[in-house]
Amino acid sequence: MKADSENTQVFSKHLTGKGTLKRLSMFDKLLTEMMGSAEGKPGAIDDITVIEVSQANFAGIISAALLGEFGAEVIKIEPPEGDPARKITPYGKNVDGVGLPFLMESRNKYNVTMDLNSSEGQEDFRKLVNKADVLIDAVKPGSMDALGIGYRQLKQLNPGLVYVAISPYGHYTAKAKEFHNVPDTDLTAQAGSGYPSLTGDPAAEEPYNYPIKAGIWAAWYMSAVLATTGTLTALMHKRKTGEGQMVDIATNDAISAWQGFQLVWGFTMEQPRVRIGNFDWCLFPYGYYKTKDGGYVTVAAAQDADFRGVLKILGRWDLEKDWRFLFDRITDDVENLKKLETEIKKEVAKHTSKELASKSLAYSAKAARSRLRSKGFPIMIELKTPPDVLKEKHWQIRKSFQEMDHPVCGKFMIPASVPKMSESPPRVKWIKCGIGEDNEYIYNKYGLGMGK
Amino acid sequence: MKESCSEEYFSFLDKIFDHSNVSEKPESLKGIRVLDLSRVIFGPVVTKWLGLFGAEVIKVEEPEEGDDWRTGTYWAKYWKDSCPYFQSLNPNKYFIGMDLKKLGAKELILELAKKSDVVVENFRAGLAEAWGLGYGTISQVNPRAIYISCSGYGQWGPLRFFPSWDLIAQSMSGMARLTGFPGKETYKLQDYYGDFFPGLLGAMGVMAALNYREQTGKGQFIDMAQVEGLMRTMLNWTYMSVVGEDLERTGNDDPSMAPSGIFKTADGKFVAIAIATDEQFLGLVGALGRTDLAEDKKFRETFERLKAGNAKELDRAVEEWVFTKTEAEVISAAKTNSFPAVPVMDDWQLVNDSWRRERGSVTLFEDDMYGEGIWVDSPVALEKTPGRVKWLTKPIGYHNRYILKKLLGLSEKEINDLDEKGVIGYWGNRVGQRPPSYWDLENDPIFNYGNKK
Repeated sequence: MKADSENTQVFSKHLTGKGTLKRLSMFDKLLTEMMGSAEGKPGAIDDITVIEVSQANFAGIISAALLGEFGAEVIKIEPPEGDPARKITPYGKNVDGVGLPFLMESRNKYNVTMDLNSSEGQEDFRKLVNKADVLIDAVKPGSMDALGIGYRQLKQLNPGLVYVAISPYGHYTAKAKEFHNVPDTDLTAQAGSGYPSLTGDPAAEEPYNYPIKAGIWAAWYMSAVLATTGTLTALMHKRKTGEGQMVDIATNDAISAWQGFQLVWGFTMEQPRVRIGNFDWCLFPYGYYKTKDGGYVTVAAAQDADFRGVLKILGRWDLEKDWRFLFDRITDDVENLKKLETEIKKEVAKHTSKELASKSLAYSAKAARSRLRSKGFPIMIELKTPPDVLKEKHWQIRKSFQEMDHPVCGKFMIPASVPKMSESPPRVKWIKCGIGEDNEYIYNKYGLGMGK
Repeated sequence: MKESCSEEYFSFLDKIFDHSNVSEKPESLKGIRVLDLSRVIFGPVVTKWLGLFGAEVIKVEEPEEGDDWRTGTYWAKYWKDSCPYFQSLNPNKYFIGMDLKKLGAKELILELAKKSDVVVENFRAGLAEAWGLGYGTISQVNPRAIYISCSGYGQWGPLRFFPSWDLIAQSMSGMARLTGFPGKETYKLQDYYGDFFPGLLGAMGVMAALNYREQTGKGQFIDMAQVEGLMRTMLNWTYMSVVGEDLERTGNDDPSMAPSGIFKTADGKFVAIAIATDEQFLGLVGALGRTDLAEDKKFRETFERLKAGNAKELDRAVEEWVFTKTEAEVISAAKTNSFPAVPVMDDWQLVNDSWRRERGSVTLFEDDMYGEGIWVDSPVALEKTPGRVKWLTKPIGYHNRYILKKLLGLSEKEINDLDEKGVIGYWGNRVGQRPPSYWDLENDPIFNYGNKK
């Protein structure tokens, strides 16, 4: 790609100098190469075999997909009737009986059926585990053990096995035992992390004043990536010592244990947070505002100087002197914040999203040239819808979306693997979702099915 | 699958995951050194993961300025001259103060990079490369280095220089319009999900690269784009391409689960219930005393149940039932009848939750500088090489002597010269940067590392 006006950047002089242009052009070469095809490059964990056993649990399904994207051989084991996760899909929309989330996450997997309740199935399973490095158990805690194929038994068989358990309350502690029978979903896992209690407006009418869940599978995706990163961490120990171990993920804990702010707030305030609508607890303005053209603009002003920049852009410098707002870090005075918010809403509504975006960019560009850098960098941008995002040239250049062409399911779009890596890039090689589609290949490869 | 609860299984696991002897267990990433040039949340949580599992993380900050979160606050709260939020983002790190703009600083960074396994930065795209601190330069002095650049839009493409924060990334990915009731206010995902989730993906990338290097000896460059990280979680792309229209926000219904929602109990609490399978549905209607619903052809089968009108009808039935039950009754029914239901927790409950303490994801922790506190700990449990918080943060430049003497072999005189020239430095006298007022710096053996009293 040739440098055009959009991607030419002037860097400040004090750090650069001789050699800068050369360095940047070599960097561009590396990036161009990275944005090309991953074909021919190795995967990061090509040497790893993963077995996935999950039941209606996308944290397990996604975690196995991610390991597959990094190159592992992933064998998904399903009962003869299939994983019920196949039917978890918005409004029941499906392609040939396969739900859309299942379609999107059936990345680089081999689909194998095996009846784990039968002794033949268990024998095959043990044979497979013997050759595997990782087992993902996303069924009810204790149920694999009850079948004689849980961590206690399998670690005897294969001491190098990394056994990854994913469940609502984990596999240890008194609570894990008490609730082992309660299945997992994203919504309940969000609740267990206290995530909905941060969203919504208590002043709205019923039921709009309720705690509100995140509109994506925030807990399932967080749990999945925690599980994958935990697995890769356990694999490092295995590579050094040959030793496997158990890795335990509690989906009811995933968001709060990784984001941590909820614990910080609770510990230092000794009380729960009160939901404050679209305000942030640390920053203002930091949210979405309606514009003249009926759209929304996102306004993000993290620092005090940025906030002052917003007032300048909106032509409301008079507010800066108002005693009610005359302090920095105003977010603790919600009543006055609401008054200030009303003023800002009023001003934003006088402009279109495009006007505000170009005004804030011009302001920030000018501020960046100021030696003192005290004018702030307020950001105002148009709120994108998913169809807008799909059309964006930037993501096309980066191949952030990938169109799949499936013999049964037809053409469909999926988000590509992240992150981009220069030597061993993750990638989607195939999507397969037929029940038992790979029985022959896997049974032959591992010498299974002899008992039948 | 067969249901059974084995006492021995759970007591075996309680033993192997016993949190009280975590400090005696080995660490997966011991011996891995990380040079952390990042700030705020997105970059620092990549190194938080590495630090939790035993890597030595050296965080470089600008003297008297430091990471923006040091002086940030929520509702004007500080704790012992520090921002508690910054503490929770940066445990187990070594803090050095260095002014990259000063002559001689770059050489020191490159010396540290030579001795490091992972380098992390989240400046504007291309900036580190322009400075001569990018992958191009560092891979020449250290071909085994894994270098991750965290940015809003990635290092390549026309948007690469566009600014980004958590909220901006949520807007640019299309995620911003997905939370909230239809036709009502749209909400952001709280507590900087737009930083934490992509940051975790960055840590995942680094862990994959470390696994690759273990096999081949090769380092590599990782381009982690915040917005792509968020897009990876959205079903909208697949849905649009198959169904031909976009998915709109749905309040508290998960359109993939029917019934589903957050419901109010008789004692005024909130409980989340979501039904993913036929089996769970049978459990729920049993609890509701409405086994007739399972016979109804509108609800009998998952795909039918999920149709918008049918799902609504079921949501109402659940709503009415929950309204007559206490939270405890609903949860007890979920246990007996095996369907997903969990109370909506709040911040204060999380802090006091005995389950989390027992699990070890939240710990009552004694820090050498800040004393006792309740902190979030390792987000996943590893039986043999568990993650752990060993210390909270330290003031800017606190580990200057410790790192520069121990790793680069600098003398006290050389360090003082660097200090005089402003190449290295320390905290400014501001809350968030300085040590707590009670701290005796003069007798602190780490701050004065290598100096005999």
